[in-house]
Amino acid sequence: MLPSELLAVWKRKGTICPRYSRFSQDDLAVASSLIETYDAHVGCKKSRLKEFADEFEDKGFEYRFVRGLAFLLDRRSTFKCDDRINASELRRGIFEASGKLGVPTSQEERKRVVEAVAAELRITDLDVERYLYADLDSELALEKFQRLPPIELLKEYNIRLAQTLLFDATEARFTTTDNWQNIFHAVKRLGLIYEIENDDGLWVKISGPSSLFKLTRRYGTSMAKLLPTILVNPNWNFEARILWKYTNEICNFKLESQRDSFLFKTPQPSAVAFDSNVEKDFAQRFEALKSGWLMKREPEPLTAGKQVMIPDFSFERDGVRVYMEIVGFWTNDYLLHKVEKLKNVEASMLVAVDEDLACGKIESLEKQSQLKLVLFRKRVPLPPVIRFLDEAYRGTRMTQIELIRSLPIVFTEPVVSYAEFAQRIGLSLEAVKTALAEKPPSDYVIMPTTMVRKDTLEQVAEKIEEKADRTGCLPLSAALKVVENEGIEDATSVLETLGYKIVWHGINVEKAEVTKNEKKSPQPSDAGHSQTA
Amino acid sequence: MLHLRFDRGTLLLKGDVGTPYGKWDPRVNCYRIKAAHYRDVLSYLEESGVPLKDEVMNLPPVEPLKSTVSLRPYQKEALARWRGAGMRGILVLPTAAGKTFIALKAIDLLKLQTLIVVPTLDLIDQWKKRVSDSLGLEAGAVGGGENTVRMVTISTYDSAYLQAGTLGNRFMFMIFDEVHHLASPSYMQIAEMYVAPYRMGLTATYERSDERHQLLPRLVGEPVYSAKIEDLAGEYLSPYTYEKVFVELTAEEQQVYDREMAVFKGYLSKRGITLKSAEDFQKFIMTTGRDKQAREALLARNRAVKVALNSKSKLTHLAEQFRTHRKDKMLIFTLHNDLVYVISRRFLIPAVTYQTPKEERREILERFRNGGYRAIVTSQVLDEGVDVPDASVGFILSGTGSAREYIQRLGRLLRKVEGKRAKMVEIVSRETIEVRTSRRRHKTAAGA
Repeated sequence: MLPSELLAVWKRKGTICPRYSRFSQDDLAVASSLIETYDAHVGCKKSRLKEFADEFEDKGFEYRFVRGLAFLLDRRSTFKCDDRINASELRRGIFEASGKLGVPTSQEERKRVVEAVAAELRITDLDVERYLYADLDSELALEKFQRLPPIELLKEYNIRLAQTLLFDATEARFTTTDNWQNIFHAVKRLGLIYEIENDDGLWVKISGPSSLFKLTRRYGTSMAKLLPTILVNPNWNFEARILWKYTNEICNFKLESQRDSFLFKTPQPSAVAFDSNVEKDFAQRFEALKSGWLMKREPEPLTAGKQVMIPDFSFERDGVRVYMEIVGFWTNDYLLHKVEKLKNVEASMLVAVDEDLACGKIESLEKQSQLKLVLFRKRVPLPPVIRFLDEAYRGTRMTQIELIRSLPIVFTEPVVSYAEFAQRIGLSLEAVKTALAEKPPSDYVIMPTTMVRKDTLEQVAEKIEEKADRTGCLPLSAALKVVENEGIEDATSVLETLGYKIVWHGINVEKAEVTKNEKKSPQPSDAGHSQTA
Repeated sequence: MLHLRFDRGTLLLKGDVGTPYGKWDPRVNCYRIKAAHYRDVLSYLEESGVPLKDEVMNLPPVEPLKSTVSLRPYQKEALARWRGAGMRGILVLPTAAGKTFIALKAIDLLKLQTLIVVPTLDLIDQWKKRVSDSLGLEAGAVGGGENTVRMVTISTYDSAYLQAGTLGNRFMFMIFDEVHHLASPSYMQIAEMYVAPYRMGLTATYERSDERHQLLPRLVGEPVYSAKIEDLAGEYLSPYTYEKVFVELTAEEQQVYDREMAVFKGYLSKRGITLKSAEDFQKFIMTTGRDKQAREALLARNRAVKVALNSKSKLTHLAEQFRTHRKDKMLIFTLHNDLVYVISRRFLIPAVTYQTPKEERREILERFRNGGYRAIVTSQVLDEGVDVPDASVGFILSGTGSAREYIQRLGRLLRKVEGKRAKMVEIVSRETIEVRTSRRRHKTAAGA
């Protein structure tokens, strides 16, 4: 953050916005010159560096901008005190002497004091003058400077500006797409309270305990500290109400990733740390199982009224999603609170409860809650978890299949891709396949990844027959081409459906041929689902 | 069953009963109450006869006190008035009148967990020593790298504000030293976010130029006792004299001063701006953020003022003064640190500024007390509270126009030592705007 007197803003009709650097040639030149100055003046005093910065101000650059950059560069620098002579001890010697001899009021008296002390400490008079206050901040020398590209300095400046403005925030709200676990951890750690607003996507409103009573800037610092955790994501919107201290008016401050993300450097996300060894152990064993479920350690938050709940794990398979929460130390109150929260959540949730750490009666809990519980000691067992997942999967799929069947859809396209269709209706691919395979639309034939209209298949059959030689044979590549020209992915399946057999002459695909399988009917058909008119 | 607990500087009341003090908090689905209303809420619920589980306080253990405090008659009177007001209220007493002892006596009286809030780190040390000397108790401290809570704990205003969320339920009694600070928009939240029902405010300068002292009665209690320097001078405070000395700028300084002031005034007249009040000036300063010429004008004015404040003639005069006061212990006050170090270097006397390391500051004050050092030059850090017992002569080389600052600086000289006559000398550059600044601080000080 920057010192608040260096905060430069635009304010217009109730909105407020920091005066960001937009990376103009001038800005880049100032940044670059300052960086070069620091880099070239290792060993120089801090007061000297400040003079260089002042020169830019004299040249007419906005002083807050120049000082802001210099402030950030100071933080990338280490300064060192010239301590060949200990300034503090030297002062003690000097002040004692002047205390004894009387405060010197003339040059001669002063010289006498300095000489006496210099002699005692075996240093020169000049050393006394030089080191008397060598430990003052302005006297420190630049020891090391960590340089950075000018554009990064400007981006750093921009985010610091935004954070400095947020110091005066009374409340804020944001929405984003990812990194929720870290965000909510940070919200909690920073002593903020959140509320979920579900009007236009998931918005999180943040304020502090005392915000209820009055407009206070007390939590502005926490909001400023939270900002980078949100900006880790590629997409975000952030709005804050600023109580502008000079005029005491409330102004709106907005950040939008689409418009503003170029201004900032994306902060480094911190790795997701496991809360406990139990979770880590479970995650490793589950991964090793290769169950077909995609496990995620940091799922998006589930909203539960005004609260959110971020389960420890989510599992996903073909669009079916299940959550799991591992509870270590617990009391009945704690779990009931969780149950209460979960009542508002529309999701399948499994709760693994550590029996050894339980402080309440498990039986009463199982009765009271509609939660699916798995009890464990030391490690979470896999079989009941898998069972729960599979049940949830089947359950969800059944529901989805029924849903698909009930859809009043009339297919007209010559070829329907299951994947595209599943995406269009927002249900799982597996459910779509199952539903269509069990009861295909009457004028379509089911293929592994697509469904093809019968008349399209007939056209394909005619075209292949035209190309075939007298014995009914033609090269595989030519046959495939005919099928693919119709936009059908499942070319070999189509050929088989049409009663063709692939005859291989060696491993060379070029030499493979297709020929009519005499035993099969020339009618388009599919095992078990013959649709003869 | 209702359930009352402390939540980061507020109280949460769970259960379906409201109180006149609470407010429904939809974020957490229960009533939230300002911590300062703790006592009111308790008595309200008690009267209503609703069973309550009170888990608010988290108090450090009470330790036995060995008090050796005895009070002067006016101190006794002040304490009695405070007790009469329900152990809440503000005592307005001049510096060196022994406000600390009244506060220590109050702790001895209540024997409750107490937080003493002070403006500076130096004052933490000083209060710690007083608590140890007069109550035979080791005090805890919060601020300046320390963080220990004990029966009596001392904290800076900054730390008390920042840590209100965790300290707010740990004390029953709060003492605000230099209580006028508490009225600022952020610090006043300390009073609101702490539970402590018993409160005492101490100050020599109750009124604030921004009128915000009117908020203090609600936060700490009414002013219950007030005495001025004149009431106590002679018997309880050292008698003092005051002198103002005008010095001429050097020819060279005069030239710079006139040139820079011309730039400033030229800008004002070109824009038709008149600066009559502090608010006018504040507005002008705000325009300098947008207007480069305004900023140029402001910088020119600052350079001129700097010349007047730091005139060489003042140092020449100071040297003369030092010659006549060879036997006295002296404090030299300036507005800016630059001048502190110029004087420290030139006269080889110790400097105390915010940059002085804590250990060294302690040592300087100690040596000044025992006579090893005869003078200290300081900017604003010694204005408040810190005891420099037998300093008898003060020099103000520069300062703001604030009466508070003047009264506080004067207070540094007035601690009663038998036979001491204090003297305050103000050194002002003639025919500069500094003359007006000096007049302002006395005009308001006289009215206080």
